[in-house]
Amino acid sequence: MPELVTATIDDRRVEVPKGTGIVEAAQAAGIEIPVFCYEPRLGDPVGACRMCLVEIEGMPKLQAACTLTVTDGMVVRTAETSSKAADGQSATLEFILVNHPLDCPVCDKGGECPLQDLTFRYGPGNTRMTLSKLTFDKPIPVSPLIALDRERCILCYRCTRFSENVAEDGLLIARNRGAATEIATFEDEPYSSPFSGNVIELCPVGALTSTLYRFQARPWDIQDVPTVCTGCAVGCNVSATIREGKVKRVLSRNHPEIDRGWLCDKGRFTYPHLQAEDRITTPLRRGRKGLVEASWPEALDLAESMLREAEGSIVTALSGSETTELAYALGRLLRGGLGAHSAVLPEATSDALEAFRLPLSGIGEAEIVVILGDDPVVERAPIVDLWIKEARRNGAEIVTCSPVGAKQVEPGGAAEACRELAAPRNAIGKRLRAAERAVLVWSGPGGGGGARIAELAHELGFAGKPGCGAFHLPATANTSAVAAAWAAASDGDESNPEPIELLVVSGDEAAADPNVRALAEQAERVIVLTMFHELAAGWADLILPATGSLERDGTAMNLEGRVQRLRRTVPPPCPDELAWISTLAGRFGVELPPHASGVFAEVAGRVFRDLSLDDLGPHAPLPARHEYSAPAAATSAGPAQLSTFEDEHFVGALRLHRYRPLFSGPAVERVPELAFQRPPAEVELSASDAERRGIASGDAVLVRSNGTSVELRAHVNRKLVEGVARIADEHAGELHAAVEVVRAP
Amino acid sequence: MSEHPEIVFAGTDGGEVTEIDDYRAGGGFSALAKARAMAPDDVIAELESSGLRGRGGAFFPTGRKWAFVPKPDQLDKPHYLVVNADESEPGTFKDREIMLRVPFRFLEGCLVAAHAIQSTHVFVYIRGEYEREFEVLRASLEAMRKADLLGGVTIVLHRGAGAYICGEETALLESLEGHLGQPRTKPPFPAIAGLYAAPTAVNNVESIATVTSVLELGAEEYAKLGVENSTGTRVFSLSGDVVSPGNYELPHGISLRELIYDVGGGVPAGRELKAIIPGGSSTPILTADEVDTKLDFDSLVAVGSGIGSAGVIVIDDRCCMVQLGIRVSQFYEHESCGKCTPCRVGTRWLTQILQKIEDGRASQADLDLLLSVCDRILGKCLCPLGDSDAIVVMSYVAKFRDEFQAHIDEGGCPFHGESSLEGILAPSAMHAGHAHEVTHA
Repeated sequence: MPELVTATIDDRRVEVPKGTGIVEAAQAAGIEIPVFCYEPRLGDPVGACRMCLVEIEGMPKLQAACTLTVTDGMVVRTAETSSKAADGQSATLEFILVNHPLDCPVCDKGGECPLQDLTFRYGPGNTRMTLSKLTFDKPIPVSPLIALDRERCILCYRCTRFSENVAEDGLLIARNRGAATEIATFEDEPYSSPFSGNVIELCPVGALTSTLYRFQARPWDIQDVPTVCTGCAVGCNVSATIREGKVKRVLSRNHPEIDRGWLCDKGRFTYPHLQAEDRITTPLRRGRKGLVEASWPEALDLAESMLREAEGSIVTALSGSETTELAYALGRLLRGGLGAHSAVLPEATSDALEAFRLPLSGIGEAEIVVILGDDPVVERAPIVDLWIKEARRNGAEIVTCSPVGAKQVEPGGAAEACRELAAPRNAIGKRLRAAERAVLVWSGPGGGGGARIAELAHELGFAGKPGCGAFHLPATANTSAVAAAWAAASDGDESNPEPIELLVVSGDEAAADPNVRALAEQAERVIVLTMFHELAAGWADLILPATGSLERDGTAMNLEGRVQRLRRTVPPPCPDELAWISTLAGRFGVELPPHASGVFAEVAGRVFRDLSLDDLGPHAPLPARHEYSAPAAATSAGPAQLSTFEDEHFVGALRLHRYRPLFSGPAVERVPELAFQRPPAEVELSASDAERRGIASGDAVLVRSNGTSVELRAHVNRKLVEGVARIADEHAGELHAAVEVVRAP
Repeated sequence: MSEHPEIVFAGTDGGEVTEIDDYRAGGGFSALAKARAMAPDDVIAELESSGLRGRGGAFFPTGRKWAFVPKPDQLDKPHYLVVNADESEPGTFKDREIMLRVPFRFLEGCLVAAHAIQSTHVFVYIRGEYEREFEVLRASLEAMRKADLLGGVTIVLHRGAGAYICGEETALLESLEGHLGQPRTKPPFPAIAGLYAAPTAVNNVESIATVTSVLELGAEEYAKLGVENSTGTRVFSLSGDVVSPGNYELPHGISLRELIYDVGGGVPAGRELKAIIPGGSSTPILTADEVDTKLDFDSLVAVGSGIGSAGVIVIDDRCCMVQLGIRVSQFYEHESCGKCTPCRVGTRWLTQILQKIEDGRASQADLDLLLSVCDRILGKCLCPLGDSDAIVVMSYVAKFRDEFQAHIDEGGCPFHGESSLEGILAPSAMHAGHAHEVTHA
């Protein structure tokens, strides 16, 4: 029980734990102390804007309430009961408005602007400024995503503090001094950070605006619809702003345990893909002269006959980003209606981690965090990266065992690193065992979908410690639940048909996956469910238009194991999958509800221990931990993991280390404003490998493997382990596992 | 020049002591030996009983400031002494002369202070434009190092980059840490969480040089100089419309009249004393009628001003008070760090209104607005910079209201271009030349 202190604020007694800020204590007493610069998520208060001035008994001058904590017996008077404080706040607003352009009628923030709101409540009703205002060039493109209006800026330093203290990118700065102070990017380079969009939401005025939302809507003709992001497996809580049936922007909807109100730019800015030029809204079937449009009845008839003809020899490629309901419905149709057959997923999954559940916010409080796996956390689950940064700021020890980590581990070597950590004499292992709050993170492919770190967590005794947890960062948003729903759809065994009569490809990630394309070459016929023409046009026999996740009802389970609800934020331009799957399933004697809540009721009983939609609420709770059970050697009922390219041809001395960057995939590729966030066409080499080959950063190089080569720029990464050539998936082409890098002729 | 004893400049005979052997021959480093033979707390007690108070402007008792620094056994962190040598207050130029003429007395004081607060790390944050002063300190420090006098203490000379705000102690610490020079909120105070969040004493150059003298003389002897609450001597920077400007070390409690007329030779012939700024640009102005005010803390508070950093600026009857206001306000506008709203916006607004008055475009309402803006800055800023602008502009209007009124009534400056601010709160032609020479030395 923390020590309590009692203070009087505006003649109201308030009792709060020692260390509580005056602003929070006032809030507890139902009193508002207005603020601009104060934002506890950004680190220590700075006391810059002076909006929160209050009178404190015994102090001659007004004090910035945000910078002080309540002490026992403190007597505080806000503008409500102190004319001095009221004058102070009015003065602050007068000063803020002296140089503010007051262009509210054409400002995106107008109508949802803290400066407008606080001026309305506390500010002067007129201006005494008759002299020339400060002017700046505007708008300044801080990046292709963010426009900066320096005249509207009130210099609260929220954006620069976010950049310095939260994202830790150090790219946004305040330069010059005094009245000439301005927000800028370091060296005027674009603000290229995976988290840049958060500064738009943090800005209390219209100084930082989204280039995608600029001049698109007014706050009184929009609606915000709550849903959950499916850009990765974190499952950040978001609101989609809707105007006239279109998504106009995506905002955070702070879930304190998951995202703390931060979003990555992938989650925030990919929504324009819903309006992509190659979006498919009508079924397409292959005719003699290529793809032709088909009516829905035609398409369903064709699908039915393709399914019947291929019965027993059907393979389904799942994306792992389907809603649980969609995966279950597909499973019921294809497994229940058509007999047992197999499915593939991009990665394996394991439910062994259910024994070590922890809210993501638990990472921020950890004493020690150990990260294992080939991929940087930020590429797989960006918000987890912010939690790890927070842990480090709070003094935690962060150990990274990866190809670029302080503890150098070769690609694919993380499972071995797990075994080392579990050894009784391992120093880091000892600290993990001793800690009350320790976290393990697996970031990368392999590892049995979390099975390896679940075993490690079990070894280390995490099960009995509620502050300890382990996370697997899967490649797609809902992999575990998709696998579980698929498995629950039938009791029949899986088989591996040879040859494949029909390949059913579910979703854009699967359609874009080169491994799935390779599978399609073996298949007689292919049905693809996709949003985009370009993804399937060359190889599908039947294309059925898919909906986007902002257009879907349903649920998804995030990497913590938390089941969250997706809402249809806009009507899709084509029928919902569940509706036509239900129709089609009926033809095979399978009854399926045609909507998500009905499917959920069915799937929840089999997968989620009878969870009901009401249990989820607007901010879903984390289910309790389950008893640990050792992971099976291989999952039998669930979909298989897709095999990657065969390592048959060893011509080079370097191992190709492909990684999937955060800013990649069909949706990202369809938003031109995100292009600058995508990885450059380069190959990363360790310093010694580069030196041995006479290669320097920036050199044009040829990356060769047997029979294929790619021309890229070299990037000498001094953190990278030796013997590796690291290339983003989209630039690695069809390179084999062993490569050689030479200077381009 | 005067019959008063010199303490800080003792032994210089009007010149400088920059050779370590000369300094030692004159009794140098005896204070250090004496201090090191004492328990740290006894050194602090000695300082407390001397009545020495900070010479940077806030006049906080030096010994008490050190006593606030937690003992190493109370807080297991490094302890730091930071010396503020970022002298930038218009009208104040004493620290540079101390560093140039008695570098060893100053550096000896650093070691005494480090002993008192049990620190082994001293940072001297020296104004960037003080190039010669930096070179002299560097050479002196090297001589002391060779003479094995540092006793395990590291003294770092850190050059600033030309920002007045970095003379504010928390902005100085931010700058020293490599951040933007902007003040921090207090609490926590530097004594508890200062440089790198560790206990830190921040003292002015003159205070530290005086520490050496206090140890040499003994607290009792030192406290006999000066007056009650303002013991000892002070290096007064005398500038403006005076025959012999310069730094003069005199005991607290002498009058402005003595300083200006007996020591400084009075205002040049044919002109009349109009006003005096007694403690650097940020202290409220006094009229010629107040010339008998004594130069000590209590006496100046009694007349609504302050001793500040003891920069005495003499203003004669050629000076237009509105123009003086513009000059002061422009300075604060230029030097505002931009962190807090009232200072960043208010200082610029004040300059604009003052310019409007000077140009003869102002109405009565503008004069009211000027005072209202001052009032709205005052007491609402993060640090004293904005307050300084407001408080001095208010004092100019309060003491010379008729002149401000005349600008409005006559639709322009009553001086009709005959006004002169030569050498007031800015280098005179002579000083400008000197500054040039220093920079390119």
